[in-house]
Amino acid sequence: MKTDVAVIGTGLSALAAARTIQQSGRQVVLVWPGLSSLYFLFATVDVLGYPTADATEPVADPGGAVARLIAREPTHPYARAGIDAVQASARLMLEWFKEAGLVWEGALNRNFLLPTATGTPKPCCLAPASMTAGDLSRPEPIVFCGFTGYQDFAPELAASNLKRQWSAADVSAVRVTAPGYGPDRLFTSIDLARSFEDASFRDAVAAQLRERLSGDTVRVGVPGVLGLTTPNETFAAFQRAVGRPIFEIPTVPPSVIALRLFDRLRKHLQEAGIEIIWAAPAHAAEVTDGRCRSILLKAAGHELPVEAAAYVVALEDWVDGAFRAGVHTVRDPFFHQAIAWNKVPTDRTAESLFSTQPFEQVGYALTDRLQPADEKGRPLAENVFCAGGAMAGYDPTGTKSRGGMAIATGYRAAREALAA
Amino acid sequence: MITEEFEPMTDTVEEEASVEACTKCTACNTVCPVARSTDIFRGPKALGPDAERFRSPQEAAVTPGLDLCSGCKLCEVTCPSQVSIQEYIRRAQNKGAREKGRSLRDWVLGRTRLLGKLGSMTAPLANFGNSNPLFRVLMERFVGIHRRRPLPKYQWLTFERWFKRHPRPTKSRRKVAYFYGCWVNYNDRRLGERAVAILERNGIEVVVPHQQCCGIPAVVNSNMDLARRYGQQNVRNLTPVAEEMDIVASSTSCGLMLKHDYGHLLDIPGSERLGAKTYDIMEYLWMLHEAGELDTDFQTVPMRLLYHAPCHLKSHGIGYPAMRLLRLIPGVNLEEVDEGCCGISGTFGVKVEKYDLSMKIGSRLFEAVKAAGSDYVLADCETCRMQVEHGAGATSAHPLEILARAYGHG
Repeated sequence: MKTDVAVIGTGLSALAAARTIQQSGRQVVLVWPGLSSLYFLFATVDVLGYPTADATEPVADPGGAVARLIAREPTHPYARAGIDAVQASARLMLEWFKEAGLVWEGALNRNFLLPTATGTPKPCCLAPASMTAGDLSRPEPIVFCGFTGYQDFAPELAASNLKRQWSAADVSAVRVTAPGYGPDRLFTSIDLARSFEDASFRDAVAAQLRERLSGDTVRVGVPGVLGLTTPNETFAAFQRAVGRPIFEIPTVPPSVIALRLFDRLRKHLQEAGIEIIWAAPAHAAEVTDGRCRSILLKAAGHELPVEAAAYVVALEDWVDGAFRAGVHTVRDPFFHQAIAWNKVPTDRTAESLFSTQPFEQVGYALTDRLQPADEKGRPLAENVFCAGGAMAGYDPTGTKSRGGMAIATGYRAAREALAA
Repeated sequence: MITEEFEPMTDTVEEEASVEACTKCTACNTVCPVARSTDIFRGPKALGPDAERFRSPQEAAVTPGLDLCSGCKLCEVTCPSQVSIQEYIRRAQNKGAREKGRSLRDWVLGRTRLLGKLGSMTAPLANFGNSNPLFRVLMERFVGIHRRRPLPKYQWLTFERWFKRHPRPTKSRRKVAYFYGCWVNYNDRRLGERAVAILERNGIEVVVPHQQCCGIPAVVNSNMDLARRYGQQNVRNLTPVAEEMDIVASSTSCGLMLKHDYGHLLDIPGSERLGAKTYDIMEYLWMLHEAGELDTDFQTVPMRLLYHAPCHLKSHGIGYPAMRLLRLIPGVNLEEVDEGCCGISGTFGVKVEKYDLSMKIGSRLFEAVKAAGSDYVLADCETCRMQVEHGAGATSAHPLEILARAYGHG
């Protein structure tokens, strides 16, 4: 099939790219090999949490810190995207969230410091409004609330960890029961989120919680399960019923906060007439005379060629199968280039789970226009642009910059694709 | 960073995702329409890749709850690692049925062509029985077909017999073979007539080769051996045809069987050649359009239309060609209702123990359809159309019907 621009990927960078192209009035098709980690893992847009992966002091002003990072490291993907793209993409997303009915907060000149499910303070730049009452720059005491039988959030763990890491240190934990969830039922955050949309369930939980809370100034942290399809109403009603500020904490997969964001943005694009090709992994690019003429999708039974004037490759490196690792080489699915090699395959991982993982750094080398490049720095195809996790040479986990990098490069790659 | 040290061609890269590729991300559970609607279903992750690690050919299939999988394949569409989740469930389901035996009902429901033959031969009687409340109570009691589920009407004149008398066009640019499927043959000949008219209007001669049921009803009623037999017959009959021309199917799930499941789920040798030449009819017409060969001299169709994308269409990996095509027609006001699975999943929602669940799965779609209002709700899949009519009280049609109207076929 034919289109102006084809965006390959399902993550935040792909969505940002598709939105940018849609706003320009050009035709865009989204090619989805399966869903990305955004769908089940994600919660906030982190622009820059730490200046380097081993820094301990969080960044206070992410916009300014990115500008300094760009000056310091001219080949960093943020530098390739440019500070203008960082600012424009944050505006783009906040406007889009608003238009799509998602209530988010944040600005590039400050970071929230929000507690995670394990009680670690985490810097993040843009966040759903349902999370921001957890900001640790506020002094109010925190009560973490879990649910009996719900295994993905332990309030006691979150409380004991946060106590050690937060100067105010006034933290405690309670557990309440979720009506209808007996001891022999295995359930996840999705089940709870659906139940929370039911007023009687919500009120029963709120009543237990009110009884257990002492002090008028406390705020309550609950796992991110307050509604799936009507989160704004569900959150407001629950907060009213409890009578204290509530904040949600993202859970391990499936993350309801991520699902809300993803499903809403996807539907919003589809409502605007953008077509999504589901279940069709791209597995080859046809390149002649330095231009990509089509990409081939593995559709059922046969290959489906997608012909576009330009392409945005916005795959995550590993999660959605962008890269294929053999014993010695890692290859990309389009140009089948060896983009990394290892004499010893175990060199791809670090000994400790918590250190910077070498495999995170694997990805396409880039030109200044975000084109995937060969070892001499020449573009593999002049009309293909790269965004998000498939870029080489940065550590999104250690520096807490995955979301900001995704939207900035998604935006910039889309602008380049429109000009190509 | 390519070095001379290693010859890249000698490095093995696994192409097909195995059960080991499952990262336990649970994306599949979050989209599963059955898991969303009942708490007794443990979801595709547990019943597919999780349980698969403990299954062995020598041991009996014991995973309970397998029959609650409706077979929509949304888990596979969603999987970031392209794991064949549903195939694991199907195989285990089938093994369990082989060990424990199948009910009369499932035996019958897997044989759509036999049902169609009997139904069309006795059409007035069969239709009377299928809509008679007393008969339906007995059918529920003794066969297990839910009394409130409307059953398709059978027609006396089958598509096969209609086509034999249909005059061939005098000149044509090319030929295409039509896989009409049991639905068009026994229940909705009109749709087949429309398909033929639209193809002929575009200078294409339609060939109707000898064909068997695609096998999907047998697959979803835990009878993969029967499905494989049907599939082998189709591969034998249709592969020589596919050497000469493309094959189009107007039923989403039939098309998916021919394209993909014969090779992957049923392991029918040589089926890849047939699959590679099979197209969904809307996909095929869109290809004609992109090649500049589709007659776009359309009449205005001033209609408000809603499009429901069948779950199995997503598995085709071709996007929504029907929406692209219909947007070429002047006057058409077309919008997608994106509320997921309709719940019927072929014969799943027909069964007495699954009917309520099937209606619950579809309830979001029904509400959205009622709220939006339309002249027609369009879906490429026949059982989706039945379910939307039943659940939302809407009038439904295959997208081809609108295209036919734009060509002036009333």
